[in-house]
Amino acid sequence: MDPKGRELSETVWTRLDRKAGAITELTIRQLRHRISTWVVLAVGALVMALLLAFYVDAIRDDFEPVDNDGDSVDWDKDGYPQGQENKYGTSDWDGQEYPGSGYYVMTGEIDWNDNPRSHSGNHTWEGQGYLDAEWVDLDYTGSRWSGLIDWGDTNSCQEGDAFDDWYLEWGEACIYDDGSYAFSGKFRASGSVSVPESLYLQWGHMTLASYVEPEPASMYIDEDGILWDGEDVSEIGTEVDDDGDCLANPNDDNRDGIPCNVIWILDADGNEIIEIRADYNVNEDPEESKYLGESSHRTFIIGTGKMAFVMMLGIFIPLFLALGLVRDETENGTLHYLLSKPIHRAEFILYRLLGYLLLAGTYILVLVLLMALVTSLIGPGDSLIRLSDFPVWLGIGLATVLVLAAYGALYNTLGLIAPKYGVYFCIILGIWEFIMGMFTMTLPEASVPMLSISHWALQLIDAIVLIAWPDTLQYAQITSAFGIDSGLPFFWQPPVHTLGTQSPVAALLVSITVLLLITVAMIGIGQASFKNREIM
Amino acid sequence: MSDKTPAVLVDQASKWYGEVIGINDVSLAIDGGVTGVLGPNGAGKSTLFKLLMGRLKPSQGSVRLFGIDPWTNTSPYRRVGYVSESERMYDWMTALDFVTTLARLHGMTREEATARAEHVLDFVGLSDVQNKEVGKYSKGMRQRVKIAHALVHDPDLIILDEPLHGCDPIARTSIMSVIRELGSQGKTVIISSHILEEIERITEQIVILHNGRLLALGNLHAIRALLDKHPHRILLTCENPRHLASEFISEDPVYGVRFPEEGKLEIQTNDLSAAHAILPRVIVDSGTDVSAIENPDDNLESLLGYLIGGDS
Amino acid sequence: MSNDGIDIEGGKTRMEVAYGAGDGDDEAKAIVASKEAELGTIFEQSYRPWDGELGPRWTRNYAIFRHHVYGMFRSTGHRHYHPMVRLTIFVILLFSLMPVLMLFLASLTGDGYMADVFSRMWGINRYNLWGQVLGYFPRNLCCWPLLTALVVGGMISDDRKNGTSAIYFSRPVTRLDYTAMKYLSVAVVLGFVIVLSYFIYYTSAIVFNGEGWAYLVDTLPMFAGGLIAGILVVITYTSIGLALSSISQSRFFAAIAFLSVIYGTKLLALLIETQFDTSILYVLSPYDCLAQIGQWLLGIDSNYNHPLAFSLVSIITINAACIALLAARVSSLEVTRE
Repeated sequence: MDPKGRELSETVWTRLDRKAGAITELTIRQLRHRISTWVVLAVGALVMALLLAFYVDAIRDDFEPVDNDGDSVDWDKDGYPQGQENKYGTSDWDGQEYPGSGYYVMTGEIDWNDNPRSHSGNHTWEGQGYLDAEWVDLDYTGSRWSGLIDWGDTNSCQEGDAFDDWYLEWGEACIYDDGSYAFSGKFRASGSVSVPESLYLQWGHMTLASYVEPEPASMYIDEDGILWDGEDVSEIGTEVDDDGDCLANPNDDNRDGIPCNVIWILDADGNEIIEIRADYNVNEDPEESKYLGESSHRTFIIGTGKMAFVMMLGIFIPLFLALGLVRDETENGTLHYLLSKPIHRAEFILYRLLGYLLLAGTYILVLVLLMALVTSLIGPGDSLIRLSDFPVWLGIGLATVLVLAAYGALYNTLGLIAPKYGVYFCIILGIWEFIMGMFTMTLPEASVPMLSISHWALQLIDAIVLIAWPDTLQYAQITSAFGIDSGLPFFWQPPVHTLGTQSPVAALLVSITVLLLITVAMIGIGQASFKNREIM
Repeated sequence: MSDKTPAVLVDQASKWYGEVIGINDVSLAIDGGVTGVLGPNGAGKSTLFKLLMGRLKPSQGSVRLFGIDPWTNTSPYRRVGYVSESERMYDWMTALDFVTTLARLHGMTREEATARAEHVLDFVGLSDVQNKEVGKYSKGMRQRVKIAHALVHDPDLIILDEPLHGCDPIARTSIMSVIRELGSQGKTVIISSHILEEIERITEQIVILHNGRLLALGNLHAIRALLDKHPHRILLTCENPRHLASEFISEDPVYGVRFPEEGKLEIQTNDLSAAHAILPRVIVDSGTDVSAIENPDDNLESLLGYLIGGDS
Repeated sequence: MSNDGIDIEGGKTRMEVAYGAGDGDDEAKAIVASKEAELGTIFEQSYRPWDGELGPRWTRNYAIFRHHVYGMFRSTGHRHYHPMVRLTIFVILLFSLMPVLMLFLASLTGDGYMADVFSRMWGINRYNLWGQVLGYFPRNLCCWPLLTALVVGGMISDDRKNGTSAIYFSRPVTRLDYTAMKYLSVAVVLGFVIVLSYFIYYTSAIVFNGEGWAYLVDTLPMFAGGLIAGILVVITYTSIGLALSSISQSRFFAAIAFLSVIYGTKLLALLIETQFDTSILYVLSPYDCLAQIGQWLLGIDSNYNHPLAFSLVSIITINAACIALLAARVSSLEVTRE
């Protein structure tokens, strides 16, 4: 084709395309030529691998039954788990007190103000005073863990009045030359006891002991399950306190007048559970395999998406890669080559960002797809591959790419507006975004984090999750109502910015729009600033 | 040039950076041929070029490339090649890559760009090393790559900011021949330097800038002729200066002699060409052995000195 | 030319003036050749071995140290810290001294409910002393990492980028001195903010509440524990920061890399902990290791599940690895502009 014909066949657009292609390609090649790029990308991949390793490890364990209310533990090491001790009304904090152990019953006392200050008999004593003993139970082990007097370790009493000139430690006794004792603590003896002014003593006896068969700890794991199968909301019935720990000590936390029950609140259509109000200690220890598997899997995806992708990769990759897109060229003096070509400075910024975004975006998408593939293959569920995970992973990828674009544009623009101060602003902004991200995780409805980019990206993930898995809300409710330890309520809360519609789609659109607006606005500001920049 | 507008038109342009003046009320038009922009460091050469390339906005007056304001419009760059004074390049790229990439910014396809890049690299004499990384090049080779990138789109106007700076004599010669070749192809070439001899070997059309002002514009010889009317010195190194001096003092163009140091004779004249005309005859007549003839004033500094009215 | 052309006996040579042990002001004159040289003379280079006394090593090192630290306060004649950096550091210092202001206000309100609240919130106890140095929000989330990133960023990378390390290495300064002084300068600037603010906080609490010697003796072990924790924070952050600075080409890369190490490891460990119920990955996070050691030093219950020894080993490993990296990089630092 002759030059003239070629020119005719070419539109402005194809020429623009070629310029865009050239600058984009140059940008990618430049980034590829820096070791730091590879280090950053490799570290990102390493983080993902580490997460996957933990995930695989957790999946292999097959969600062991977890004792959510902690009553399978034998805290005082007396052979009876807490649940059994609770049932018999004994304390699980006192090794001497267990089902059938007998317990102390107080029968009398000398108060601080009482007048007759002595008493005799065969009792279990507790307090401070002088003892004239006929018989002392040297092997007494009592039922409380503190203040037991060790009779094998008594010394001679010091000179002077006990409890006046000197004091005995709690749990100690000493012997006088005449064979009487001064004591401070608990013991069993027969004899007469006198109590000095302003001290206290009580006495009583232990009930008879009997043998109670200890129950295995496994009886108290997953012992208070949810009757509803977790799938069809129409089958929701009345929940019962299976293990009786609520009924033993009834409460009405949800204030419906009925103790130990659960209220399920459905949405207007009656299809989804939007809130669960349970009385304390009802269904507090359900079977993990039934609820934790799915819930943990989702938590992993959401947590990885939010923390690893948006907050770690999303904030730091642009700091490393986008900060110098135009600024470095100015500093190095290589900008002259590019700007002496027939290309508008505004286009130049756009194509530079495009190049960066292509590299970083491809990287993110590859990582996301790898994560999606691995987790959906080994994740819980009957099907071979969990296809419903993919929209969420893609949503995470979308959120991260949008964040990369917004930060890239922001950092780049800051570097253009303030060539000297800009980088310092970028570092401070990075920290701000990080803190706001943390805030958004815990308090999504707070208003200050709305001033950050990470807030909108996290909201976007929240929205995508609710669209792809509408029952996540129900899982989150079950998890927080019945104390299942999956972390779902920490990592996921329903999206906030629904414009009053409660629709996750609205929230998704709002978030995407905000992120795009920030990107476009930042590019615009950068272009306006760069267009009027004199380049020395 | 088919159109009537000159390639470069600077109309009463001034540029100052805060208090410092870069260019002060400069007006010139350049079209066709090789033009040398001369001036010492800080004269405003680079400022002028940056105004032409739209890097800077004139504080006053206007600058036009092919009739278009380069500050607001990038379209004239289609016809302009620019070699900046910056030494930095993408060191990790090969010369061919470098030129190809920049060629693509003119809207060429990859194939076109590669072909053109190979062509211009051959033109500047780098075709045998075009696949080596630019970082491994010598300074002269780097300058030639920079020139190649400016030529890749076959521009009508080529602006070279100190292309000979820091090059060794061999590189200098080859770059000069490239520039002369361009001039003979009928392109408008603007080249800056602070060394008169360099420019003298390339072109006769010069612009002299000093302290941001336009000092002289036109043919080098014409400017020189003007200068001939000013006091000039010729320094001779000879065996017997006093004897030679007596011979010269009777000649017409010579109005004074001086003995700056042992074995040297300085002749002062008002008409340099006339003095040079009589010089061989007088020396031969005197029979003195002259080992060197120097024109201490024949450099840019003294040229400038005369132009701004000093008498150095 | 013979030796009589050069004044060897009288005066001092340049070397002596530059590095000599004298105070320098009285005879600070460098004499190389006393005879007036003629045009066209070839100078006969007559060297004599310099057997003068080199000034003490510490004075030379102190000059390097001073150069870096004084730059924080004075804008000329010393290492240049960007005004923005200095402003940020000042704000961080003020912020870390906020409890002092609160204690002062508390001392004004006198006895009563408010004074009680004030003293519980900002008074001296194990938790508040720990929090002053190691609290996550805001101290270790916004303040200390930012401070370190800003101070440490260009410490070595600037020398590499600008070739200014030649200024040191062309003088009688060993690479060890150079590195050690850089390290010390950073540590002192960090310590100035982190440790000094802690110290001021403790002393002002005692002054404002009019506490006596008995109180001082009682709380001193706690204070010492916190002080050691603070010094550990300074040392660890300095090691990591300088190591990153020594491998970077630009100060911003070093700063950003430092922040991403501190925040990234913390975030990753938090993610793993909340999901998989194991706190083991906190050994990767320098902040959390320091926090656990600090909890032990101050006698607070640890809120990590893994043993303290892991954190101790991790902190020692991190410091050792960073210093080894720093030493390796500095010893191979080429005295050219990279």
